[in-house]
Amino acid sequence: MTTTDEPRPAFKERARASIQRFGGYLAAMVMPNIGAFLAFGLITALFIPTGWLPNESMAELVDPLIRFLLPLLIGYTGGTLVHGQRGGVVGSIATMGVIVASDSPMFLGAMVIGPLSALLMKLFDAAVQPKIRAGFEMLVNNFSAGILGGIMALFGLKVVGPVVAAITGGLGTGVAWLVDMRLIPLVSLIIEPAKVLFLNNAINHGVLSPLGVQSAEETGKAITFLFEANPGPGLGILLACWFFGPKISRATAPGAIIIHFFGGIHEIYFPYLLAQPKLILAAIAGGMTGVTVFMLTGAGLVGPASPGSIIAVLAVTPRGGFVPVVAGVIAAATVSFLVASLLLGFGRQARKEEQAKERESAET
Amino acid sequence: MSNTINGSDVRKVVIACDAGMGSSALLKTQLAQSLKPYGVTVEHTAVNAIPIDADVVVTQAGLAGRARKSAPDTPVVTFQMFLGDPAFTKLEAAIRDGADIDG
Repeated sequence: MTTTDEPRPAFKERARASIQRFGGYLAAMVMPNIGAFLAFGLITALFIPTGWLPNESMAELVDPLIRFLLPLLIGYTGGTLVHGQRGGVVGSIATMGVIVASDSPMFLGAMVIGPLSALLMKLFDAAVQPKIRAGFEMLVNNFSAGILGGIMALFGLKVVGPVVAAITGGLGTGVAWLVDMRLIPLVSLIIEPAKVLFLNNAINHGVLSPLGVQSAEETGKAITFLFEANPGPGLGILLACWFFGPKISRATAPGAIIIHFFGGIHEIYFPYLLAQPKLILAAIAGGMTGVTVFMLTGAGLVGPASPGSIIAVLAVTPRGGFVPVVAGVIAAATVSFLVASLLLGFGRQARKEEQAKERESAET
Repeated sequence: MSNTINGSDVRKVVIACDAGMGSSALLKTQLAQSLKPYGVTVEHTAVNAIPIDADVVVTQAGLAGRARKSAPDTPVVTFQMFLGDPAFTKLEAAIRDGADIDG
């Protein structure tokens, strides 16, 4: 910026940054632990009774992984983000409270009580640590973490757990209702534009993954894992930019397609949409098509697919669930490609602009 | 509010994205290669956790506001496209020729 007194960013811009920051915070609790999610997804896909290699004793891993390991990792990471290792320890103890409070996996509960407990620990440390007599630091620090952690575990068990269980239960019922009423494709109206504003992680890992885990536990798979991670809409748009986009898009789109579809980095197609906002309609149309196909065919994944690469998606697809998942991805890509191509005038607009530019440079 | 650094003083470029795991890692691979001859190290982080010793921060325009808040005393270079954006060539040229980098 060369201007000396910068105007205050517009309200919209500030709101977007705040939502991004809050969402980024939620995602930051989940994303470093995706490896554990994948291990859970792979073990589930392999060893449950309907899996590839049904095995009763190995399938015993599934329940503890999702009920204990994953929420504990989230609570620990959330605590660490707020107050380092001490925050992580207190957050983990407290997360045990919400885990025990419910029969279903407590992801949202861990996202609430992990950082909250760490915050209390941080406030306590700031107030008390300067006053500790020399030589008593370790005693005070260990007991304060133990006592606060214990209290927060009880608080999680009796207050946060039941409240969050009611909320996630309600949200889960809401999603199930939308599926039943055939209204769930409407979520693309929110998801696709929000993704392009770099809220993709916030939406997927802050909202959709925790919801999905709930229903995956009950029914063995969840459609919500597919809403954001479906690489189809982005693929269609990149293909359209490759064939019919402006010159600069045509040059970079092939590389972007590989990174997007196989590498799973959806961010790479957002700038193409930001440069030509009308293409958001193609993303929405593609997303809605994908969700519709997923809904009608009963598609679902056993765990979150992250990054949103076709490889990750197929890795957590349950046995016998490949046709619905692949059909939804292809349908989404096809529709977004067609709509985007139409919006780009099948290349007419780009040709016109290039000719105009050539004429300009010829005149000068 | 604007920060400036001369390209020849740049030792560490930090690429920031939302989670610090996806697109920033992709760009790190690319930039590390092109900046290696000038003795510049390239790292990737989450936009909320930019390290204090970064000389230049590189981020997508949509995340620039958060990057400036997270690293108020470091020039923030923004780009639009992840592939083939002129901002990358400009940054490399500035580091090579010792030109000023504003942001």
